[in-house]
Amino acid sequence: MLKGKLKFIIAIAVIALAVSYLVYGGVKDTMVYYLTVKELKSKVPSVYGERIRVSGKVVPGSIKHGPDGSLEFSLSDGGGDIDVAYSGIVPDIFKDDVEAVVEGQYGSDNVFAADVLLAKCPTKYESTEALYNSGTEGKGVKTY
Amino acid sequence: MVETGKISLFLAFAVSIYVVCASVYGARAGKGDFVKSARNGMLAVCFLLIIATGALIHSLVNLDFSLKYVALNTSTDLPVIYRITSLWAGQAGSLLLWALILSVYSALVVLDTRTRSRLLMPYVVAVLAAITVFFTYLICFVENPFQALPVAAVEGRGLNPILQNAYMAIHPVTLYLGYVGVSVPFAFGMGALLSGQLGDEWIKYSRKWTLFAWTFLSVGLLLGARWAYLELGWGGYWAWDPVENAAFMPWLAATAFVHSVMIQEKKGMLKKWNMALIILTFFLAVFGTFITRSGVISSVHSFAQSDIGPLFLGFIAFILLFSFAMFLYRIRDLESENRFDSILSRESAFIFNNLLFLGAAFAVFLGTVFPIMSEALTGNKILVGSPYFNRVNVPIALVLIFLMGVGPLISWRKASRENLMKNFLVPVITGAVTAGVLIALGVREVYAILSYAFCAFVTATVFTEFFRGVAVRSGRGENPALAFVRLVSRNKRRYGGYIVHIGVVVIVIGITSSSVFVTEKQATLTKGQSLELGGYTLTFQGIEQYTTDAKNATVAKLEGYKNGKPIGPVSPEKNIYKYEGNREINQETEVALRSTFTDDLYVILMSYGEDGTATIRVMVNPMVSWIWSGGVVLLIGAIVTMWPGGRKEREEVFVRYTLHDRDRTAKV
Repeated sequence: MLKGKLKFIIAIAVIALAVSYLVYGGVKDTMVYYLTVKELKSKVPSVYGERIRVSGKVVPGSIKHGPDGSLEFSLSDGGGDIDVAYSGIVPDIFKDDVEAVVEGQYGSDNVFAADVLLAKCPTKYESTEALYNSGTEGKGVKTY
Repeated sequence: MVETGKISLFLAFAVSIYVVCASVYGARAGKGDFVKSARNGMLAVCFLLIIATGALIHSLVNLDFSLKYVALNTSTDLPVIYRITSLWAGQAGSLLLWALILSVYSALVVLDTRTRSRLLMPYVVAVLAAITVFFTYLICFVENPFQALPVAAVEGRGLNPILQNAYMAIHPVTLYLGYVGVSVPFAFGMGALLSGQLGDEWIKYSRKWTLFAWTFLSVGLLLGARWAYLELGWGGYWAWDPVENAAFMPWLAATAFVHSVMIQEKKGMLKKWNMALIILTFFLAVFGTFITRSGVISSVHSFAQSDIGPLFLGFIAFILLFSFAMFLYRIRDLESENRFDSILSRESAFIFNNLLFLGAAFAVFLGTVFPIMSEALTGNKILVGSPYFNRVNVPIALVLIFLMGVGPLISWRKASRENLMKNFLVPVITGAVTAGVLIALGVREVYAILSYAFCAFVTATVFTEFFRGVAVRSGRGENPALAFVRLVSRNKRRYGGYIVHIGVVVIVIGITSSSVFVTEKQATLTKGQSLELGGYTLTFQGIEQYTTDAKNATVAKLEGYKNGKPIGPVSPEKNIYKYEGNREINQETEVALRSTFTDDLYVILMSYGEDGTATIRVMVNPMVSWIWSGGVVLLIGAIVTMWPGGRKEREEVFVRYTLHDRDRTAKV
């Protein structure tokens, strides 16, 4: 009986170790730092070439579409801004002033080469101010 | 109407508090009148919440813009059907829906157990009412859907166009039916702990309700995946987004529970484990609601950020502390009636299944909260993305699929060599042959080969089971078709479960194929140019524009050919919505999708130039349609399993096992 129990303990330990190993390896190899634009700026030059994720607001008027579907724009969070170059699928909600998240590398030319672009869905910021401007320009004012 | 709604909400809150008190007092003091009054109170709460929800729907349909909720989530141009579904588009409405579903479930529980389980039920009712108190409190005092605006708005903000979609209309409700469904087995578990009635009763009800909730969670997850695939336009269906994970974690825990609960039913083992598991499942369901509704973890979906976060955290902490305190208090009554005999047995297959499901849930949980944890511990916000989740979960999933084939065929207690040979020879050969053929065909992706081979293995075990059952019956002179129907209808749980397994296999084949063998290409085309990918040829005919009441659409006209044969026009669109409003999103990419049994042609219009060129991205996703078909099979299997009737026979089986076990204990 003791032998049977031991087998179980070994089997369970093996599963636990295997899962821990997968988790550890997964975290180690895929983790990225999530920074604001300001934090990114403050960490230059140590962040050059590192894979990072940055979030900020799209600077109004900065979006430039290239001929082959590529995209250039600037991200800002009040504490500075960075230029981003991106090529790939652009989310529908991506536009001026929207909260965007990019992932990629910050090059020594101070351009962020992104291969992931996400835009945060702002529809559900439940602010009432926006209601009274409807009909006019009426962009929802985000209130955190 | 608005006043009626407000008052009903408040009454529902007040009556739930009464139900908690009356039920517990009635049970402790042995006063049946109080218990009965509490049960009626539960029905009243359900009635009141139906009225409140009805009142809110009435305001939404009639666009009463004096209400904040209505003004934020609807607009004059919104079709009536989406005005109704706006009920769950915002925070307050979603919470009301949670409470409503819970109260309907609670009413069903009360009606279902009218004369049964007199010692257990008062506590179950009290726990259900206590959860209702929390949610009705939130709706009444923190996020009231009937809150008026200081000045009525002229026009509402409307519903995001990508949410105006049939899948999006039903997907949240389906998930909620699942999330909330988990409250019922939890209430039974807690009821058992509180009353000390830790016998088979709570497990019987919990199993039934967990299966019900599990089915809705599964279908809800698939509907969400399908919506993302059709609407979000990036060609995938699952991104390991926190909101997706939020629904996936309770699903994993519930899946573990519906399996391990069988061991307790049949062998009286794993009692502590099952109790802990149902507490964990409920915790994950509430945590999931919390993630989705509080915006604490930044997500692309990022719903409302509001002040319900701390209240939810308090509620979660309370649930965990209270449940585990009760658990420790009763731990002596949760001793196993049997022991594990061998590592090669069905019991141990189930144990491993459970450990792996929990391992997966843990990994997903860790990945989801990683940014918060790392920030708290190191000051740096660190993320792990899809690669992490795939790396961890794919191997776990492969072992689980393998076990799915082993579990149903291996014998209880201890598998003999004969049992293993007799049951597993054909399936193992089927799996090995599948792997061999794939390698011969040039497939080199190890995970894909393993996945297909295990799927073949599982399919073979399930078919062996069906074949044997039918053969035994038709050996007695029944015709095979009738034998099949009777076999399934007399053993609904067992064969329904097998059908669910087949559904899972079909889904896994779809996921494996579409994630490993996807191909894609992007090109900027001028009129007359073609793009080729995976046997498809797309010839660009030019850009067209048209206008409807709601939008200005730009269409890239493409002629499609598969292996030289025309398949008709393929027209991805980019739409600009006219209505300025406050919708914030006014652009929508409409992908062109041509779905077949073998692959999906998925075409996205990326951009178009003034000069009449179009940049398109084309993806060929193999076997995506299998995921949705597998979902249908899974649903059918789940319905078979839950179909009422045949209870008598089930109880016979139950008794037999118990006798068998007593027999054994006597001998020992």
